[in-house]
Amino acid sequence: MPFYEKGPVRINYEEAGSGFPLLLIAGGGLNSVMAGLPRSPFNPIEEFKGEYRCVYADLRNANAGQSSGPLEVDRPWDSHTDDHLGLMDHLRIDKFMVLGFCIGGPFIWNLIKRAPDRVVAAVPAQPVGFRPEMPTVLYDGSMTGWGPELVKRRPDITMEMVEKYLTRMYRTNPDFVFTVTRDFVRKCQTPVLILPDDVPAHPYAVAMECAMLAPKAEVSIYPWKEPVSRIPLAVRQIRSFLRAHRPPASASA
Amino acid sequence: MDPIRRKLLKTGAAATAMAAAQSVFAQQAGQRGSFYEKGPVRIHYEEEGSGFPLLLIAGGGLNSTIAGLRRPDPFNPFEEFKGEYRCIAADLRNANGGQSSGPLEVDRPWDSHTDDQLGLMDHLRIDKFMVMGFCIGGPFIWNLLERAPDRIVAAVLAQPSGSRPEARDLFYENNIKGWGPEFVKRRPEVTMETVDRYLTKMYRTNPDFVFTVTRDFVRNCRTPVLILPDDIPAHPYAVAMEAAMLAPKAEVSMFPWKEPKERIPLAVRQIRSFLRAHRLASS
Repeated sequence: MPFYEKGPVRINYEEAGSGFPLLLIAGGGLNSVMAGLPRSPFNPIEEFKGEYRCVYADLRNANAGQSSGPLEVDRPWDSHTDDHLGLMDHLRIDKFMVLGFCIGGPFIWNLIKRAPDRVVAAVPAQPVGFRPEMPTVLYDGSMTGWGPELVKRRPDITMEMVEKYLTRMYRTNPDFVFTVTRDFVRKCQTPVLILPDDVPAHPYAVAMECAMLAPKAEVSIYPWKEPVSRIPLAVRQIRSFLRAHRPPASASA
Repeated sequence: MDPIRRKLLKTGAAATAMAAAQSVFAQQAGQRGSFYEKGPVRIHYEEEGSGFPLLLIAGGGLNSTIAGLRRPDPFNPFEEFKGEYRCIAADLRNANGGQSSGPLEVDRPWDSHTDDQLGLMDHLRIDKFMVMGFCIGGPFIWNLLERAPDRIVAAVLAQPSGSRPEARDLFYENNIKGWGPEFVKRRPEVTMETVDRYLTKMYRTNPDFVFTVTRDFVRNCRTPVLILPDDIPAHPYAVAMEAAMLAPKAEVSMFPWKEPKERIPLAVRQIRSFLRAHRLASS
């Protein structure tokens, strides 16, 4: 399995298929790892490797993953976006599309903000968002489900650091999709296809608000995961969306 | 040759030439308002835009006319797609308010309209095309897919008509009141008895599902279809979703997609992506 390294950061990644580059981001919050992709509502590697160069990585410091690096307590979201963009640079990929589950939603918005000319189209599936009636659900989930295991593996990291990191990530001005403002989404010229969910960490209202704000947004049927027989309809919509926005072969990276 | 016969032939040839010239003139006079004629059938059609051919079918039941497409509600497909497609639309044969006419084929109502749609595409020398239809466009599209599966690259069924088990007679009743009386007024050779036979064959003989094809046909249909469900009496959500779940290459929009109105652009963008994706795949 290849690694991309930059200073103290070491990112374990894989590739499958060929064609226009498609970055895949697994769900699982801060435990987002490549192994999670096949366990998604559909396996994006299997669905898209026939048409795209699929690139995917373990999130920096995800338990059960092999990516590691500093815990950047002042810039948690951006540190991961650094890794996403750095990996694409490492692979000499300029323009790409991105499909992300759950925490992939905020990551995608941050990617579009930081690299609007590189991200050709994006698919946030069951995206994470801030739910006012459960304001600490993401912080609490990571404080119990990610932090303790990380500090066990990494003696250089303390729970105090984890607490600061998560506070910055999820409790400092928590709102909307965490990484960008409504005003950014309102002006975003990147085509996005949003597949809403409605579990505590994936509020339907935020997903639909994004879809209604973004001038080039499309949205899936909802619910699209239940009954499971609906999932192929959503996958076909993603396929059409990606094909429609994929640059002509001559213009690809 | 008999001089009288010669004169008749000359007159006939001149008339034919004049008709041809008028037809060319009509087509040159603007993209709008041409006629396709075949035997006793005369179909008024319009074209706008350029690109891959996209047949548009208006809603309005048997009063489906081009004018119905140009209304902004839920969206005007000419305006949305003429920048990228050669949009073609026609008044339905015998629609009140339209300029298309022809026999009322009481034994093959659905097929007579499909004849016109395919005949128009032949007339325009169009082989492969995409199709988007509202309301009654749904059953017409399925019939087109059954009769010309190799010509239709992809199809969009917006707020499609379907048979609702709790209201099997809805379409018959609507048309026997809302289309037939006005039609027989305009066409004295047609009686309400003929209208009744036509509508009975169309909507009361094995009324089920999407009227024109079976579930088995949809289950085996290889044409990509995008379905935008509605849920008013004539456009049952259950039938739209059943077709979407059966068709192996179906996509579906969110529901509802027409209310609030701010959702309509999302649906239009989905249609645009769907058409582009399949246009590219076919080229």
